[in-house]
Amino acid sequence: MGLSVPAVAVLLVALLCLDPHGRVGSAPICAHGPSGCHVPSLADLFDRVIQHSARMHSLSNDLHSEFEQYFLPSKNHIGKIYRKCHTSNILTPNGKENAQKLAREELTEVILKLLMAWRDPLFQLHQSMAHQQDFNSFSSNKALEMGDMAHELRKGVEKVAEKMRVLGMLGNSVTGLSAAEAMLPLSDSGEAMSDYELLYCFRRDSNKVQNYLKILKCRIVPEHDC
Amino acid sequence: IWCHLLALLIYTAVRKGPVQFSLPVSDPSRGPHFTGCRSREQETFRCWWSAGIFQNLTEPGALRVFYQTKNALLSEWQECPDYTHTVKNECYFNKTFTHIWTSYCIQLRSVRENITYDETCFTVENIVHPDPPIGLNWTLLNVSRSGLHFDILVRWAPPPSADVQMGWMSLVYQVQYRVRNASHWEMLDLESGTQQSIYGLHTDKEYEVRVRCKMSAFDNFGEFSDSILVHVAQIPSKESTFPTMLVLIFGVIGLVILLVLLIFSQQQRLMVIFLPPIPAPKIKGIDPELLKNGKLDQLNSLLSSQDMYKPDFYHEDPWVEFIQLDLDDPPEKNESSDTQHRLGLSRSGSSHVLNFKSDDDSGRASCYDPEIPNPEDLASLLPGHSGRGDNHPLVSRSISSIPDLGVQQTSEVEETPIQTQPAVPSWVNMDFYAQVSDFTPAGGVVLSPGQLNSSPEKKKEEENEKKIQFQLVSDGAYTSENTARQLSTEVPPSPGPEQGYQTFPTQAVEGNLWNGEYLVSTSDSQIPYLLPEAPPAPILPPVSDYTVVQEVDAQHSLLLNPPSLQPAICPHSPNKHLPAMPTMPMGYLTPDLLGNLTP
Repeated sequence: MGLSVPAVAVLLVALLCLDPHGRVGSAPICAHGPSGCHVPSLADLFDRVIQHSARMHSLSNDLHSEFEQYFLPSKNHIGKIYRKCHTSNILTPNGKENAQKLAREELTEVILKLLMAWRDPLFQLHQSMAHQQDFNSFSSNKALEMGDMAHELRKGVEKVAEKMRVLGMLGNSVTGLSAAEAMLPLSDSGEAMSDYELLYCFRRDSNKVQNYLKILKCRIVPEHDC
Repeated sequence: IWCHLLALLIYTAVRKGPVQFSLPVSDPSRGPHFTGCRSREQETFRCWWSAGIFQNLTEPGALRVFYQTKNALLSEWQECPDYTHTVKNECYFNKTFTHIWTSYCIQLRSVRENITYDETCFTVENIVHPDPPIGLNWTLLNVSRSGLHFDILVRWAPPPSADVQMGWMSLVYQVQYRVRNASHWEMLDLESGTQQSIYGLHTDKEYEVRVRCKMSAFDNFGEFSDSILVHVAQIPSKESTFPTMLVLIFGVIGLVILLVLLIFSQQQRLMVIFLPPIPAPKIKGIDPELLKNGKLDQLNSLLSSQDMYKPDFYHEDPWVEFIQLDLDDPPEKNESSDTQHRLGLSRSGSSHVLNFKSDDDSGRASCYDPEIPNPEDLASLLPGHSGRGDNHPLVSRSISSIPDLGVQQTSEVEETPIQTQPAVPSWVNMDFYAQVSDFTPAGGVVLSPGQLNSSPEKKKEEENEKKIQFQLVSDGAYTSENTARQLSTEVPPSPGPEQGYQTFPTQAVEGNLWNGEYLVSTSDSQIPYLLPEAPPAPILPPVSDYTVVQEVDAQHSLLLNPPSLQPAICPHSPNKHLPAMPTMPMGYLTPDLLGNLTP
C-alpha cells in the first residue's frame, strides 16, 4: 500500500465534501411541483384497483354469459356441475367473515396468488378463442383485454402492497411471488381445460379478487365504518 | 370507458333470466322437487321444496334435504342444518354453512323409501337476490314553462341486509315508473348510485315509482320496493297555445301573400313554363296577320305570288275565260261552209268577245246574272261564225237556268235550226250551268232549250216566227220547272230578224270537229223548230251535258268524247222530245286547257 497520507486525505475530503445525500437513488417525479403531480393516497390506490377488478369481473361475466348462451343452449338447472379449477388448490376464504378474519398480509397474498395464477391461462384462453371460428373477433378481443386487465391488476395490487409495506401496514411476511406459483391450468384428469371451464373459473376468481380487495380496503383504510 | 361500455352492451344483450332455479314456484304436476333457493345478502341462503302430487309426503320429516359442498375437499352428504320451523318446507343455511364461491348440490330424499326425488347444484353467488331498496322518495326538480311537464329526483337507500359499505355486495338499481293504474311500466337504465332523475312527467297525472336492485355483473334482480305516488298539480296558464296559433296563422298568411306576389310578378315566365305556346301554322312568305286582317285584294296579290295557289279566275266573269272567242280573225269567206250560208251568220260582233260582265264583281259566276249577255253576243260565239278554225270550245258555264243541250255526235250532221226568242229577262232564270249547243254564224251562242237566246240579228229566218221555246230539259241539275214554265210562257215577240239556230253538228262536214256542246232544243211539244230556209237540219242526237275533251285538233277545235248514242232529234216533230240526257261527261274544261285552245 503505497498510498501516501495526502492522497488518503484528499480522498477523505472528497468523500466528505460530497453531498451526503447524494446517494444514487431515484428521485420522485413529482418532487418539484406541488400542483404538478398528485401523489395518490392509499385510498385512491385502492379505489383504482377495486374499479379495475370490478371491470375485469364484469368482462369475465359477459364472456361467460356469451359462452353459455351460444354454446350451451341446453342449459339445465343441474348444469352447474362442479368444475375443479386449477386455482382450487389455493386456499381462499369462502365468506365475508372468513375473509375479514384473515390477516391483511395473507389476504394480500391470496389476491396476488390468484392474479398470478391466471396470467398464463388467460393468455391461453385468448389464443384459443382467437383461433376458433365460432368466436367473433369481438369475443376474442375481450379475452385479450381480460388478460391484460388481469396483468394490470396484479401490478396494481403489487403497488398497493408495496405502499402498504412502506406505510407499515403490512408486515414483512408478504413474500414476493415466485414464478413457481404460476401453475398451468390442468383439470383433474390432467387435460387442458376447455374455454368454457376457464371462463367459468375465472369468473369466480375475479369475483373473489374483487371482494377481497374491498375487504382489504375496508380494513386498511377505515372509512364508512366498514 | 369504451371497453366498459362494450361490456355493458354485451351484458345487457345477453341478459337472461335468473341463472338458477331460484324461483319459488312449485310445479304441482311433478313429484317432490325443489322449488328454489335464494340468498338475500350473499351470506346465507334458503331452499324450498314441494311435495308435489305426493300428498302422502307432506307431513314434516317425510322429505329431507341433503347437501354436499363440492370443493377441493371431498365431503359427504349432510343433512340440512336448519329446517325452518315457521316456514314449511324450507331449509336454511346460515353463515357457517354458507360458502361462497363453492358449488352446492342438494338432494330431496325420502328417507323412509330411500328415494331421491330431486337434486340440483348451484353456487351461492349465482342465487343472490338482493332485498328491495328502502326509503324511496321523490323531490320536484322543476316545472316546465308551459306548466305541462315536470322533472323529479327519486332517492332511495340500499337494502339494509346488503353490506354495501364494505362493498361485499356492489348493487345496481333499476327505477320503474308508470301512470297510475296503467299496464306498462317505464324502465330506466341501471343506476349504481342511490338516486335518479325522471324527466318529462305530465302534470295533473299521477305516477307510480318503484325501484329494485341486483348485484352488478349478476343477473338476478331482487323484489320491487313499494311504489310511491308522484303528483304535481297543473298551474293554469292562459298563454299556452295562443301565441303559437297566432304565429302559425300569420306565417301561413304571409307565405300565401308572398306566393301570390311571386306568381304575379313572374306571370309571363310561368305561363311559358306551364302552358307553352302552340306554334301557329305558317305559310312560307305569308304573314299570318295579313291573312287574318288583310283585304281581299291584298290577299289576292299575296296569294298570286305563290306558286301553289292560282289566281282566282272566278273573280272574273267566267264567261270570259271559258268562252273566249277570238273574233279578230274573220273567217275566210271562201271557206265558209254551207251551213254558214245557211245560217247566214254575219260578221258582226266578230271582234268582240263575249263579254258578259260589266263589272268585276267576283260573285258573278253564281246564280242569276243581272248582266245578261246579249244573245247576239252569244251567237257570236258560235263556231259557225268562224267555222274554219275558230272553233272555240264551248264550255258550259254556270249560267243559271240554261238548259242543257244535247251533244251532237260528230257523225251525225244534223242541224236543228233553233229559233229562240231573245228574252233578256230570261237570263235571270238561268241555271247555274248551261250547255251551249250551237253557235250562230254571228257568233252567238245557242244554249240548250229553255233559254231564249237572242240570236244575232243577222239571221233572217224568221219566217216562222214561232217561239221557240226551249223546254228546259228536266235535268235536275240544270233546269227547273219554273224556269221551264217561264220560258215557255214567255213569248216575247221575236225580233224581226228571227234567227234560227241550227245546231251545228257539222264537224264532219266541214272538218270541224266540234263536238262540243250543242244547244239543243230539247223541248217537248212546244218547241217548234224554225228552220227558215234550211232543210231540216239533221236531227241532233241528244248530247250529254258534259263531255270530256279528248284532244284539240290542228284547227283548235276540241275533240270531245262521243256521248252515248241518242236518237236523233227531229226538229219537225215537236212532240218528240229528246230523251233524257245522257250521262254527264266525265271531264270539264279547265281554263288551262282553254288557254291552250284559244288562238
